[in-house]
Amino acid sequence: MLVAILSRLGRLVFVMFGISVVVFLIFFATPGSDPAARIAGRNASPETLAQVRQSFGLDQPLPVQYAVMMKRLFVTQDLTSFVNRGQKVVPAVIKAIPVTLSLVLGAAVLWVIGGLIVGVAAAATRGGWTDRGLMALSLVGVSMPVFWVGEVMNLLSQSRLHHTFLFSWVPPLGYKPLLTDPAGWFKALVIPWVTLAILYIGLYGRILRADLIETMQEDFVRTARAKGLPESRILLRHGVRSSLIAFVTMFGLDFGALIGGGALLTEVVFGLRGVGKLTYDALQTLDLPVILTTVLYASFFVVAANALVDALYAVIDPRVRRAG
Amino acid sequence: MHRLRLRALAAALAGGAVLFGVAIAPASAQEKGGSLRLLARAASGTIDPHINYTLQQWQVFYIAYDGLVTFRKVGDETGFEVVADLAEALPEATNEGKTYTFKLRPGIKFSNGQDLTTDDVVASLQRIFKVSGPTAGTFYNGIVGADKCLSAPADCTLEGGVVADKAAGTVTINLTAPDGEFLQKLAVPHAYILPAATPASDQGTTPIPGTGAYAVQSYDPNASLKLVRNPQFKEWSADAQPEGFVDDISYDFGLTEEAAVTAIQNGDADWMFDPPPPDRLAEIGTQYESQVSLHPLSAMWYAPMNTNLAPFDNPKVRQAVNFAIDRDAIVKLFGGANLAQPACQILPPGFPGYEPYCPYTANPGTTWSAPDMEKAKALVAESGTAGQEVKIIAEDTVVSRAIGVYLQDVLTELGYKASVQPISQNLQFTYIQNTNNKVQISISQWFQDYPSPSNFLNVLFSCGSFHPGSDASVNIAGFCDEAVEAKMKEAFAAAVTDPASALPIWTEVDRQVTDAAPAAVLFTPKRVDFVSSRVQNFTFSPQFYAIFSKLAVQ
Amino acid sequence: MTDRILDPSALPAAAPLPDPALGGAKEASFGPWATAWRRLRRDRGAMVALAILCLVALACAAAPLYASAVSGTNPFATNLNGEVTIDGTAQPVLAPSTTGLGLGVTPIGPTWALGPYMLGADNQGRDVAARMLYGGRNSLLIAGAATVLTLVFAVAIGLLCGFFGGIVDGVLNRVLDVLWAFPIYLLAISLSIVLIAEGLTIGPIDIRAGSLWLPIAIIGVVYVPYVARPIRGQTLSLMRSEFIAAAIALGVPPWRIFVKDLLPNIMPRVIVLVPILLALNMITESSLSFLSIGVQPPDASWGTIIQDGQGLLYSRPIVALAPGLAVALTVLCLNILGDGVRDAFDPRAKVRIA
Repeated sequence: MLVAILSRLGRLVFVMFGISVVVFLIFFATPGSDPAARIAGRNASPETLAQVRQSFGLDQPLPVQYAVMMKRLFVTQDLTSFVNRGQKVVPAVIKAIPVTLSLVLGAAVLWVIGGLIVGVAAAATRGGWTDRGLMALSLVGVSMPVFWVGEVMNLLSQSRLHHTFLFSWVPPLGYKPLLTDPAGWFKALVIPWVTLAILYIGLYGRILRADLIETMQEDFVRTARAKGLPESRILLRHGVRSSLIAFVTMFGLDFGALIGGGALLTEVVFGLRGVGKLTYDALQTLDLPVILTTVLYASFFVVAANALVDALYAVIDPRVRRAG
Repeated sequence: MHRLRLRALAAALAGGAVLFGVAIAPASAQEKGGSLRLLARAASGTIDPHINYTLQQWQVFYIAYDGLVTFRKVGDETGFEVVADLAEALPEATNEGKTYTFKLRPGIKFSNGQDLTTDDVVASLQRIFKVSGPTAGTFYNGIVGADKCLSAPADCTLEGGVVADKAAGTVTINLTAPDGEFLQKLAVPHAYILPAATPASDQGTTPIPGTGAYAVQSYDPNASLKLVRNPQFKEWSADAQPEGFVDDISYDFGLTEEAAVTAIQNGDADWMFDPPPPDRLAEIGTQYESQVSLHPLSAMWYAPMNTNLAPFDNPKVRQAVNFAIDRDAIVKLFGGANLAQPACQILPPGFPGYEPYCPYTANPGTTWSAPDMEKAKALVAESGTAGQEVKIIAEDTVVSRAIGVYLQDVLTELGYKASVQPISQNLQFTYIQNTNNKVQISISQWFQDYPSPSNFLNVLFSCGSFHPGSDASVNIAGFCDEAVEAKMKEAFAAAVTDPASALPIWTEVDRQVTDAAPAAVLFTPKRVDFVSSRVQNFTFSPQFYAIFSKLAVQ
Repeated sequence: MTDRILDPSALPAAAPLPDPALGGAKEASFGPWATAWRRLRRDRGAMVALAILCLVALACAAAPLYASAVSGTNPFATNLNGEVTIDGTAQPVLAPSTTGLGLGVTPIGPTWALGPYMLGADNQGRDVAARMLYGGRNSLLIAGAATVLTLVFAVAIGLLCGFFGGIVDGVLNRVLDVLWAFPIYLLAISLSIVLIAEGLTIGPIDIRAGSLWLPIAIIGVVYVPYVARPIRGQTLSLMRSEFIAAAIALGVPPWRIFVKDLLPNIMPRVIVLVPILLALNMITESSLSFLSIGVQPPDASWGTIIQDGQGLLYSRPIVALAPGLAVALTVLCLNILGDGVRDAFDPRAKVRIA
């Protein structure tokens, strides 16, 4: 077990190292990426440019620059942005986390409940019109680009229908902190939640339905049926329970990726300054320290979620241990 | 002025007959007190006035800090004039224009309670070099001792260049050569006076005490910048640093322009830095007419052409492009005729030295009327360059991209194999400057720093601002012409004794550069300011744009 | 949007395809491919989706015809001063506002009639309907080519890893690890910022900046781990099967085992993935273009038209709505088709989209 954990940790470190090197190299391979001129200001004299290059360590060889940056990120934690000079990167990311967390948690609640309802209802009415209708809706939900759904939502709630009773409560775009303004927090996030959740409700509903239908053909379900248990009870008791593993796995991976900044498009469209938006802005300005930090942060969650899910698997299903 | 937030000014502007300084809501009886909420899409970097070079932060610095001299903070064209600020009076240049002596006003305190002394002035001028300020080598390199400071910033003393007499409260600045624009250079935030104890490094997000009407309380680039009244401030000159109306100002970052317009419409915010999105202009121009003000800017949108690369190394080709561009059409991409004015010369209308001149139009004369495609095609035929490949580097913004596509059409019609390449707007400006990137033609903007013709002509088109292989080579066209260079020297020399006598020479330089066509000037943008209904006394200075301390709320 | 295509529960992979020679199933006489095809043809939903997809592709292919015969404008050239006659009156394509302060310019709205500006104009006065058709060509082309690229890479990597194991597997797996954990959009954005400006030159391959191959290469690479992993898993389990063990014991050369034994058994899974990858790539392409990386102007794709429309969302929402609906419709059909293909070829695969 210890070996397994250590090997996992080793992989995590390797992945994060690999990613940081890739980001670093991509940055320096980009034409016009040299931050010296942008830091120095427009029409700086060559002397000033040289001074800036030296004081930011940009005249050092790449491996040295990489090592210094990693040290400032992990050891001294005083890494600062290239664009908003003096802005410490680590606190900036930490400040963005509550926004992303609020968005993803709320959406997760919606999509878990929605996915369960859709999946169970569709499986229960399998082949019927409810089933077909729900599956068609799920497919539509899965087929719309999330940023476009967000745009349309904005168009309706901020402009076209803003003055009707439907959306008159919608505040201007942006995030309100939960602790100081709970009502504002909720109002500001309802539409982003729905937007982000639509895709996952469709996905989870469809997968759950398929799982349930498969389970319902298993022997133990037949036994339960033979005992005369009502179908609805079998579905909820046996079906949902045995489909839960797949459901939880999927949830773990999606949640990890989204917390890591995967909700970038939603955050951009709704002007929520979470980790995804932070990354997006940093990419726009090629702010290497911020990009590095957010990408490492994101990859950590992706790898960690993977490891957790795998561990969960090993605990629940001994067969996987052998197969893996 | 270029960079980031500055260019945003341009994306959608307006104008017509609105004059400088027309206050939006007639300021009958403004009351002191209340709070302002300003919005910007993103923060704009460090709040160290010696380093930051963006209009967005400069507008904050104007009301929080002072220089020895400053631009008059009023809402008419006299806002271009330099007035005494921390100094008692504007000094006369002595010693053949090489020496300026300033006497400090007594009794001024920094927001932390410290008295302002000559030590602070000396330390601040040294600090320009110690922090490698962006203009250290371009604005202040004429101070005696500046050359040493540029090569070894840490040990900068400016010995012999800045001499203080603490008892008399005077500071004397010696220059190596006369500089008719020196007082204007001292009036920009890079030469503002900070406490002598301010560390000689970029202060980033840490507020530095100042002498202005407001003091920066806190700054978080991901959230907001807070300004409160400076408790130590007593108005000494309403022209230089007027007392503010509101008690505190919150400058919040992160809302998109669309959201900002909505917030101002709903009264949730009072003013936005970024131009309103083109899509909302018609709406605010009609339904919120009384809350909008339009002002022409001392700025230009232009397309620099690389005079060292084919086909633009041939002046005929550059002139052909100038003849072929339909500036009325481009103005449409920008938001219509009330937001921008077609232009074909370098200096913007109303600027010192400006005389209307337009050789690149159907009926050459003073104003642009229509493109002359035949003439353009004839010039291209004479040059024999048709069929060559040309790549246009645009910024990745709606307007710049659209102009890029339009230019592509024009160049294609002229017979070139044209393509357009938008680049992230934060990279584009440094990318197009570096000769290593072999950029042929690009789309860029330029905003004045201070009201002198040299700020356009010398900065953008002199041999001195062309640095091959560097990202900081603002002479994007790589234009270097002996005759023009000589003329500019003549103008500089004339300005030392009599600034007014230099203006006709600059007018001539403007014509020479325009004729040589190192760039195609496209239009002069106008600025749209959209304020909430509760804002009164909106004041627009040609130098500072919105002056926050003049805004009052009901 | 950020996740894997295949649920990990499917990693241990479906059982090998029944060897046709062994017979067994009642439709065995047709062979597994024919059987699957017959099953697919009986799926009415999938057939309707396929038909709609064909129509979409045909319409996009006819873009030049539409531009010349119906809209009568060049959808790539700006038309800033143009006028168009609608209901007998000449109207400017881009109309400056004349009320109030006279700010802003509004492009002409949809006419809803077959002819010029059926869906209105964008901010450069170009016909949106014609651009939609041209844009669809690019969107479909990119999605298709990226899918091929992903599958080729993923199958090669998956087979190599599964077959050779050991160091090859270890190294390739670590590379996939990094690629996998690199958030998709970040990878795409970083790559495209680098590539869009300068183009890409690797040995003999020289992709010019602005070329369609850039988004294709980016999107194609991004999803490789998501497909290579399950294929590796399937190869691993095939390697443990008796017929491969027998082939290896008999000294059959590796390439023969690859081509004759492994590939055919992996193909059903690969085919199941095609429509789903296509759908995914369509969405990725539009998202990248929305973030203004991807297809370069004046070319269009559905994503770039949505992006153009974003700037007109309040005055001319149709510019953003129409291409969004086109993406949604195409992806919907691909998903329905994907369900059908899965049921027909590999019913046990738990394929997940998005």
